[in-house]
Amino acid sequence: MSKRKFTAIYSFSLLIPLLLLLFPLFSLGNRETPIIFGLPFSFFWVILWIIVTFLIVLFLYRIDPDKDEEEAN
Amino acid sequence: MEHWQIAMFIMIAYLVIALVIGVLAGKGRDKGSLDEFAVASGKLGLIVMWFLMGGAVFSAFSFLGAPGWAYSKGAPALYILTYTAFAILPWYIIGPKISKIGRKYNIYTVSGFMKKRYGSRLLPILIGLIALLASIQYLATQMKGMAYIFNIMTEGRIPFWLGALVSYGIVVIYVATGGLRAAAWSDVFQGLLMIIISWVVGLAIVNQLHDSVSGMFNNILENNPGFLEIGNAGSTMSPMAYTTTILVSLIGFLMWPHLFSKSYASNPRTIKKTVLIYPVFALFLIPLLLVGFAAVNVVDPATLDSPDQILPVLITTVLSLPGWIYGLVGAGALAAAMSTADAITHSASLEFTDGVIKNIKTELSEKTTLLIMRVGIFVIGGLAYFITIFGGQGLIALLLGAYGSIVQFAPGVYGALYSKRATAPAVIIGLIVGTVVNYYYQLVAESTPLEIHAGILGLMCNVVIVFVISALTQSKNITAAEGYRNINS
Repeated sequence: MSKRKFTAIYSFSLLIPLLLLLFPLFSLGNRETPIIFGLPFSFFWVILWIIVTFLIVLFLYRIDPDKDEEEAN
Repeated sequence: MEHWQIAMFIMIAYLVIALVIGVLAGKGRDKGSLDEFAVASGKLGLIVMWFLMGGAVFSAFSFLGAPGWAYSKGAPALYILTYTAFAILPWYIIGPKISKIGRKYNIYTVSGFMKKRYGSRLLPILIGLIALLASIQYLATQMKGMAYIFNIMTEGRIPFWLGALVSYGIVVIYVATGGLRAAAWSDVFQGLLMIIISWVVGLAIVNQLHDSVSGMFNNILENNPGFLEIGNAGSTMSPMAYTTTILVSLIGFLMWPHLFSKSYASNPRTIKKTVLIYPVFALFLIPLLLVGFAAVNVVDPATLDSPDQILPVLITTVLSLPGWIYGLVGAGALAAAMSTADAITHSASLEFTDGVIKNIKTELSEKTTLLIMRVGIFVIGGLAYFITIFGGQGLIALLLGAYGSIVQFAPGVYGALYSKRATAPAVIIGLIVGTVVNYYYQLVAESTPLEIHAGILGLMCNVVIVFVISALTQSKNITAAEGYRNINS
């Protein structure tokens, strides 16, 4: 995979969870109930997508073509 | 022993340890090296880097402001979680680029980065000045946090001016002697401390005031409908204001000189790994938000001078917690404020020296530059101290206000990384207009159109100007433009 393609995949796949946490899409999670794991739904929704984001970044790092570059050119 | 005596003893013990770690970290390094002082010779490892970035973000705002927002505004406090988790992500892509550019052209600041690419002297001077002002504002919030904590935890016995003087004085000493490496190592200690304390104390408070977390939220649902939503009846913030507040924090985050210039302090691999484990830091904010929610309907807002006092007030007056908890919370909050203040003081001095002084007086030896940077740390520290003691305004308004101007660097930075068309006049005029628009809507106007955040309004004008004027002008420095854009290949 080329660097350019990786950058595109990186940006696009992380933009999705971000958009889910901003209006207008945040309306999906912007509710008080149900209470999940003791938290109001809006609170739970934000934490859920932060965890998903964390997992996406872990995966992206695995497919990064030059993750092992040590030194600057 | 009285509660406040135990608390004071713990906080002083903490301050001594922070000072010793900071001073020891700088020992045995080359004291005459500008590279070591500015970017720790570019060799910081993963753990240190992670805490340096985390410590810089976890500020007095997180410890005092986050519970304050949850308590006074409800759901809009979730913006803090969202932006903390997402703001670091672009660094994975742009951090390695900036790091390589820094090594290729021997740069260690934002001003240096802009100067090399755009070839103007006015631009780095502007950046240096804005960075200085924004940093002083930011430092003032940290110092207020430290002073509040000392004052409340000792039940008023340590006056405001003394608490700020002692804790910030220690920061100035270890940063001036050990540079970035001292800041980084003291942040490891401070970071661990505040993470542990926020969870332990956060959950302890919720359990003392309510049966459980869900019991607490059910109570709020019943008594304050709309408080846990955004934009509906009973809410304290509109959807547009919420979204643009997140955006401005998100875009502005990496433009802060103390975060931007960390790209130079490490190699691309460490930068990527730092981003990888970083979102975990956002989760450390959860207990602090829970504390704020726990106080809703328990503490009468009229009894507080400002919502930022909610955490310390809960501990000292509402709950009968033992003295060692006073001390721990005090130490945690001090750690949060100090680990931000050290990075900011350091970078403010670097930016001002490299951006303003070196472009007015161009012939300075490395030795003189380093001396100016060290002296600058004391001068900036002193200025920030006097502004804190004699100036006013709430914690969060200050922080967001400073943010608004820093975000205006973004078009110039992204233009340098991704475009060979962006030109110096375009970036300069964009920066000036963006800053003026931001200040107008933040400080002069009563409200903003559609409740869009003032910083975003400035940024929209800024971006349009950069595109239009770049199209009308010719780039003078094609070699640097190509060198920046093609740094990876």
